[in-house]
Amino acid sequence: MSLVNPIGEEFHPFSIKKKSFQQTILKLPSNYRVVAKKYSRFCRLEFNTIVGIREFMREIKTVTIVGANGSMGAGSAAIVAAFGEAKVHMLARDVDKAKEGIAKAIKSVRTDTIKSRMIPGTYDKDLAKAVAESDWVFELVAESYAVKEPINAQIAKARKPGTIVSTVSSGLSIERLAKSFDADGQKHYFGTHFFNPPYKMILCELVSHKGSDLKLKADLGKYLEQKLRRAVVYTNDTPAFAGNRIGFQLMNEIAQFAEKYQNKGGLALMDAIMGGFTGRAMGPLATVDFVGLDVHKAIVDNLYEFTNDSAHETFKLPKYMQKLIDKGDLGGKTGQGLFKRSKSADGKREKFVYNISTGNYDPYPKFDIPFAKEASAKIASSDYKGAMEVIKAAKGLEADLCRYFLARYISYSLSIVGEVVDTKENADAAMGFGFNWVPASAFVDLLGGVVETKKFLTASKIEIPQVLAKANPKETFYKLQNKLDARALFRA
Amino acid sequence: MAKGNPVYILGGAQTDFQRNWSKEGKTFLSIMKEVTDDGLLAAGIDYSEIQKLNKNNRVAVFVGNFDAEQYATQGHLGAFLTEVNPAFNGVPGGRFEAACASGSIALDAAATKIRVEDYDVAIVVGVEIMKTVNSAIGGDFLGTAAYYEKEAKGIEFPFPKLFGKLADVILDRYKLKEAVFMDALAEISRINYANAKRNPNAQTRSWFMNKEHAAARGGENNMAVGGRLCIADCSQVTDGGALVVLASKKYAAEYAKKRKLKLGNIPQIKGWGHRVAPVTFEGKVAESKGNKFILPWTKTTVDDAYTRAKMSVKNIDVFETHDCFTSSEYAAVSAFGISAPGKEHEAIQKGVIDFNGKKPINPSGGLIGVGHPVGASGVRMMLDLYKQVTGTAGDYQVKGAKNGLMLNIGGSATTNVVFIVGR
Repeated sequence: MSLVNPIGEEFHPFSIKKKSFQQTILKLPSNYRVVAKKYSRFCRLEFNTIVGIREFMREIKTVTIVGANGSMGAGSAAIVAAFGEAKVHMLARDVDKAKEGIAKAIKSVRTDTIKSRMIPGTYDKDLAKAVAESDWVFELVAESYAVKEPINAQIAKARKPGTIVSTVSSGLSIERLAKSFDADGQKHYFGTHFFNPPYKMILCELVSHKGSDLKLKADLGKYLEQKLRRAVVYTNDTPAFAGNRIGFQLMNEIAQFAEKYQNKGGLALMDAIMGGFTGRAMGPLATVDFVGLDVHKAIVDNLYEFTNDSAHETFKLPKYMQKLIDKGDLGGKTGQGLFKRSKSADGKREKFVYNISTGNYDPYPKFDIPFAKEASAKIASSDYKGAMEVIKAAKGLEADLCRYFLARYISYSLSIVGEVVDTKENADAAMGFGFNWVPASAFVDLLGGVVETKKFLTASKIEIPQVLAKANPKETFYKLQNKLDARALFRA
Repeated sequence: MAKGNPVYILGGAQTDFQRNWSKEGKTFLSIMKEVTDDGLLAAGIDYSEIQKLNKNNRVAVFVGNFDAEQYATQGHLGAFLTEVNPAFNGVPGGRFEAACASGSIALDAAATKIRVEDYDVAIVVGVEIMKTVNSAIGGDFLGTAAYYEKEAKGIEFPFPKLFGKLADVILDRYKLKEAVFMDALAEISRINYANAKRNPNAQTRSWFMNKEHAAARGGENNMAVGGRLCIADCSQVTDGGALVVLASKKYAAEYAKKRKLKLGNIPQIKGWGHRVAPVTFEGKVAESKGNKFILPWTKTTVDDAYTRAKMSVKNIDVFETHDCFTSSEYAAVSAFGISAPGKEHEAIQKGVIDFNGKKPINPSGGLIGVGHPVGASGVRMMLDLYKQVTGTAGDYQVKGAKNGLMLNIGGSATTNVVFIVGR
């Protein structure tokens, strides 16, 4: 049997064990290592039978952050410089912006020690040199092909073989973005979708495309997990990946229902029905307002165009949202959107909600929803199963909607297993770490197990996903309890 | 072995110390409920078993809590397991308080009742909810663990200042080079944070800390809070609970038989010590003038436990200590006998107390890394020793640990409690 080294020379599958000999005799670059199978000794010599050679990810010592001035760029750079202890090239359009990014990074992770490792620079002057000496180039410029592709072309030109390049993109096609690179670059190209703000939200979706080297993906995953302390979710290159696919499905469908029930309580009613007792810190529509209606639209439009599953129609952006976007009322960041906050003459904080029928902002109403109150009280006393029993047994429109939304969330989360993620644990981690929502699998146990959950879904006319259909009803369904205590995500 | 009948430990649980229960809209009682559900489940004792034991008055409850009166406007926590589950109706219970050593005082009372065979099973719960108030108000509450009138009244954050003084006295009495000493304190901080990264229940498991940051004192990101001590030298305000189940030999034998375990594989409390030093920090320093140990009563407490266990530092594979501040862990190094007094920094710099060192301290992350819900910390330490000596500490398991020692202190090393746990 003979094998071939990275420069195309054949060699015999026996080698002296000492690593330095392997590197010189087999002419291996430093990031290539032999993969040995059998170890044997003869007299004082040690032998390994080599079964192959594989490239390992280079140790990440120097990183280039492209788009270092934005909140994601600065926040992610802080993680790399602090936890990763890497030298970081902070690149922006101009050097003042890059410096702003450094200040933001220090503030986000609260340590001055990273300052000496962060070097400000610009795309025009410094990108080529920075990329050439980097082990990882992390691109975080605006979310569009028109912005990302020209920058990628610049990166590709300067990139040395073996350097990892990744994008923070939350929804663009990783495969398409990878096309800016040569064969080696495509192998080393990934999506590393951090969440905002990176120091607080530890989720990272690690996305591979068809041309990615999966062993390098595993190396990068290990680095993100162990060195950068991220909760890594491994996903495929599908629209919006795992977290946003599940999260924005629910948020947009609830937004659609707000339109349908605009005369019965509209937006505020929907958030009251899906309050903290349903396993989240912030109402789903308050979340839309927080991330911005423009961002919401970009994600759901992308999902509507490029997916075609049973939830397809739920990705259609409601008309009233488009109206608000057209007016520039994008949410908290522009002062008003679905909601509006202001201070009264005597300094009291006031909250208003957009009235879909009239287009006005009405004072935020208080609802008296007995089952929601009762469920919240159960949560306050840590009786989580009790809270689910209340939701299951409650009567009336609000309860019907609450059950429908929860059923949809559970079903849709689990339905992406196979297409987007390999295991339900990846979907669960995405929602827990990325959205602070109680993961679908945890609901299955709290609702009384697999059999009860199937009944719960069927009662709301929601389809039962394969993962649930095939589950062993005797086993605990949620497997991340030791990493992510779902109880902490319920708010009373 | 300590006098009297042996006391066995059947296991338990702690809450995730990262949680802010007030933010979740939950209370001290939610902590008690979750930690009791989880702890009994982990120990393999269900509520019907509690009822069965209670019929013959064989089980009792011991709650360690420092200050629910102020933090949660609730006293009488010893009665509250009846609100957790009706199985506790009629079960004797009480609340035990000795500032930050409240958990250990509850353990001490529980162990005593087992030792004299009053009860067969003792449920020990430590609990504290602290994020109900802001840090200034909380700091003032904590001041009542010192001599409030003399040491805390009108002082912002009195405790960092008291342990800052301990740092001053260490420097002065041992004539250490300041840079060497401060570096050793930074190393203590680094180790605790690094260890906490392996502990899935640690408050700081996702926080950033390294040696460079711990040593970079001052400025807005590592503010001075008590003399030489900065934020990185302090444990943080934490909510949480911990539970362990103690048992008599009779019960442990039944328990082992049912589970097909060897009784010898169930850990025991092998030694204990409990001493109280003068309340004020000045009083302590005055009393120990001319002594090699700045905190001689802490040292005596450790020695008492060694004597009762017929052991010495040689026999201890793992330590859990009360690092409310880096200076308190520093002083503990010599109290344990890991180094001579005044030479603690040498042991620290040589890596002796590191996770992979010869005498690892705080593999859990300690109070600095795992968090310090005051009344729960002693129970949490006991639970961690249980995990270590049974090989169930997961990623923070010290390889082959057979015997462990914990030191839990209240006030400025006023109440000192030590337990040695082993198989």
